[in-house]
Amino acid sequence: MSRPAVDTEALTAADPPARRRLPRMSLAEYFSFAFLALLIAAVLFADAIPGLIGPNFPYGDFSQPPNWSLNGILGTDPLGRSVLSRIIHGARATLTIVCVATAISLCFGLLIGMLAGYYRGILERIVDLFANTVASLPPILVLLALITATGPSVITMTLTLGFLEIGTYARIAKGGVISQNDRDYVLAARALGASDLRILTREILPNLFPTLAALMPPLMAGLIITEGSLSFLGYGIAAPAPSWGGMVADSTDLLSRFPLLMLGPILAIVLTVYALNTVGDYLSRRVDTRDRQL
Amino acid sequence: MSGARGAHPLLSVKGLTCSIRTPQARLSILTDIGFSLDHGTSLGIVGESGAGKSMLIKAIMGLAPRIAEITGTVRLDGTDLATLPEARKRSYLGRKVGMVFQNPTTSLNPFVKIGRQVAEASRLHLKLDRSAARTLATDLLRTVGIPDAAQCYDGFPHQFSGGMKQRIMIATALACAPELLIADEATTALDVTVQKEILDLLQSLQQNRRMSMILVTHNLGIVAGRTDEVIVLYGGRIAEMGRTEHLFRTPRHRYTAALLAAMPRMDQPPHSRLQTIPGAPPDLLRPEPGCPFAPRCGAADDRCRQTMPDMARSGDANHHFACHHPIPVDAAPALPSAQEGTRHG
Amino acid sequence: MADHGYLRDDAQLRVRDLTVTYRRGARTFDAVGNVSLDVAKGETLGLVGESGSGKTTIGRAILRLLPKGNTTTSGSVIYKDRLLGGLAPAQMRAVRQEMQMIFQDPISSFNPRRKVVDIVGEGLEIQGIGRAERARRVDAALADVGMSRAMVEGRRANQFSGGQCQRLAIARALALDPELIVCDEPVASLDVSVQAHVINLLQDIRTNRQLALIFISHDLAVVRNVSDRVAVLYMGRLVEIGTNDAVYQRPAHPYTRTLLAAIPVPDATPRQIVPHERLEAPSQLAPPSGCRFRMRCPRADALCASAEPELRQMPHSQFAACHHPHDDAPPGAAR
Repeated sequence: MSRPAVDTEALTAADPPARRRLPRMSLAEYFSFAFLALLIAAVLFADAIPGLIGPNFPYGDFSQPPNWSLNGILGTDPLGRSVLSRIIHGARATLTIVCVATAISLCFGLLIGMLAGYYRGILERIVDLFANTVASLPPILVLLALITATGPSVITMTLTLGFLEIGTYARIAKGGVISQNDRDYVLAARALGASDLRILTREILPNLFPTLAALMPPLMAGLIITEGSLSFLGYGIAAPAPSWGGMVADSTDLLSRFPLLMLGPILAIVLTVYALNTVGDYLSRRVDTRDRQL
Repeated sequence: MSGARGAHPLLSVKGLTCSIRTPQARLSILTDIGFSLDHGTSLGIVGESGAGKSMLIKAIMGLAPRIAEITGTVRLDGTDLATLPEARKRSYLGRKVGMVFQNPTTSLNPFVKIGRQVAEASRLHLKLDRSAARTLATDLLRTVGIPDAAQCYDGFPHQFSGGMKQRIMIATALACAPELLIADEATTALDVTVQKEILDLLQSLQQNRRMSMILVTHNLGIVAGRTDEVIVLYGGRIAEMGRTEHLFRTPRHRYTAALLAAMPRMDQPPHSRLQTIPGAPPDLLRPEPGCPFAPRCGAADDRCRQTMPDMARSGDANHHFACHHPIPVDAAPALPSAQEGTRHG
Repeated sequence: MADHGYLRDDAQLRVRDLTVTYRRGARTFDAVGNVSLDVAKGETLGLVGESGSGKTTIGRAILRLLPKGNTTTSGSVIYKDRLLGGLAPAQMRAVRQEMQMIFQDPISSFNPRRKVVDIVGEGLEIQGIGRAERARRVDAALADVGMSRAMVEGRRANQFSGGQCQRLAIARALALDPELIVCDEPVASLDVSVQAHVINLLQDIRTNRQLALIFISHDLAVVRNVSDRVAVLYMGRLVEIGTNDAVYQRPAHPYTRTLLAAIPVPDATPRQIVPHERLEAPSQLAPPSGCRFRMRCPRADALCASAEPELRQMPHSQFAACHHPHDDAPPGAAR
């Protein structure tokens, strides 16, 4: 039998999409993205920056205020080391810890959260119990206790931070999965014969990305503060390796005489946390806009 | 439309144009809409999605979004609404016009007893005290067919079905004894048997209270036999308007005829091929000069594509259309012969 | 004892005594009760009913798409002599190739984050068809619905209109070369002009491929146009079933008549309002005793309250479940 007469006049080519209107970026948002990009670049290419001295090299006078040289732009610390260099290397340490920890939380959290949301029942209850229990633990106290018991270790800190945040990501994933379970496209995939695994990875997971992308930056900002607090207390990254929290601690001792010593690390922490939160806000606005357009 | 017989019409719209300016372009949603509605008459406004019918109602009621630029005049009972300050306009419209929307579930507050929601408008606009308002609300609930109205007064929305909730919405709209009731796709979300009950209710309310009514819908079947007059919208313009039975008996605009022919009918044998309308609805971003229906019309020529047709009159009847090549009056009717006699409920 | 004389043992799809119960917390409610019907090869069965009738549930039960958690299904669904309930997952996957579904809201039946062309070929990928063959069959399916790869390349569902999406959904189903398609309100969310295109398209495809269709809809005019046989459902019960002409021209069940009388017909005759005495649709969690329609039925009496009617053959060939069925043609019936 011949093909049905196709009424092609009935169809106009779907117009190219009106460029999906992304929410306008405010000045603060531009700044935040730029700052984070700069920070990441500095961390990755610290060793290649021409003229930047090492973080542990006492090259100048003690506790000098900022001057117009590369190494001295944020001044020197009480041992004559370049504050800028220490900030950048400290960032390397902090960001590595935070990224690895987030990666751990994300992987395990997504795994158990998606399974809980898809299969519900007892699995959901176990995951809820786990997430709620872990959420009630104050992170700093847990870390203090652990490190007192086992000694300061970057690995301990990273793994613990990672573990403590699994519940958060699990809850986000679970919520995202439950809201999709009854959607027609999931049912359509099942009608085509898709296995549960395929549905979870091909249909459901991609729709979790926008929400996750919006929620990750603020959570990472929280981890930076936690790590910074621990280093401030002396339980985090061990001296002489630079850390933002440690630098803040060092500068508080000399606050009355050299108030500008605090400038570098405080600025670093505040700007980074602010930038991450702002980027997170922007991304969650993007999620709203997309949902509304659908 | 029906000329003013001495007194002014209840609603008079002239030259209503609505466009939205976005950074990218200018969307023309409505162009040069004009009609009038007398006291006690019912009007159907029919259009498919994108024709502009919801924006038309919003523009009339002053509910259009701020970015919409609206020109033209809207007179309600002789008063030009544009001359009223915002607060006065709102209270004027609130007293004179009742509205029923598509989704009763989202229109009703789930935490407030339904009786109170019905009474609310009367307390606000008519300044009734609590017990008078309660009596009024109970009467209204009874009028709209809620069984055990006195008990149901204390009920909450989730306890009622969709059709019942829509009746409650109608009661709410009637609380101030409005002169005009607007039902905007009020039955679209309801089952077909419930839809009939609600339409019957609206029709009987309109007749008993000598209210004017506007029924907005995408389905020509809903206004058929129920409204006095009907307007067919296409691409933000009026394609055809006039007495309902004239329009159905002798549609003159090509779009109206095509729309009627595209609907599956009970008197066609099974598996008959439906007549389709080629093409797609007009692009609001790039309006063509000339008739908006021209790209899809089998009878269109260059004149149709370049010049917008003026409103012409069909014979001397109250029936107008905007088409360069209308369906001839004596042509074989677009519809198979309608069933004679009335259709029973 | 119900008379199931309308059932055919050689039909391609046989549904016998299908019952589906949902659990909502502590309460259960039966969405579908003891429904039996068949669909023969190349036949279109219209499933008509309003909300709560169970028509969507039946469609999903047939394709075994009901959620496992809070649903209990009993009865049997037999496709080409294979009992679907007893199949292993791998066997069921093979059967799925032959039975497909089209959904009511076309845009939401496509994953918003995936490309439409990938989705259309998804079924083939799941069945393990190689890339080249897949591309060929996707192109063929797109051509069958009047679209081409160039039109859809790189786009997502929200870049298409409702009608175009529904065509794509049909292409997705056709790519697998099925023999039966369950259409769940396929045109309900489309404008009238687009509706006509999609209905014509379904009819063409059905004719060319000898497809069996189960056409679920609340719109009786559309069902009249597309169906060979019609089944009317009310509150989970099959109340009338027969050929298109029998059901539309001489409806026996009062509910069928109520449905037919409610169709908004676009013609010039004025509507006469007859006051309705019985309005309240009873809650599904506490259905009335006896016949479920009796609260709205002008013919109901004590017998209707005490005994639920069973399907019996009517004089004009269809079957209806009613103690007091109609025998004549209603005024203004379809010709």
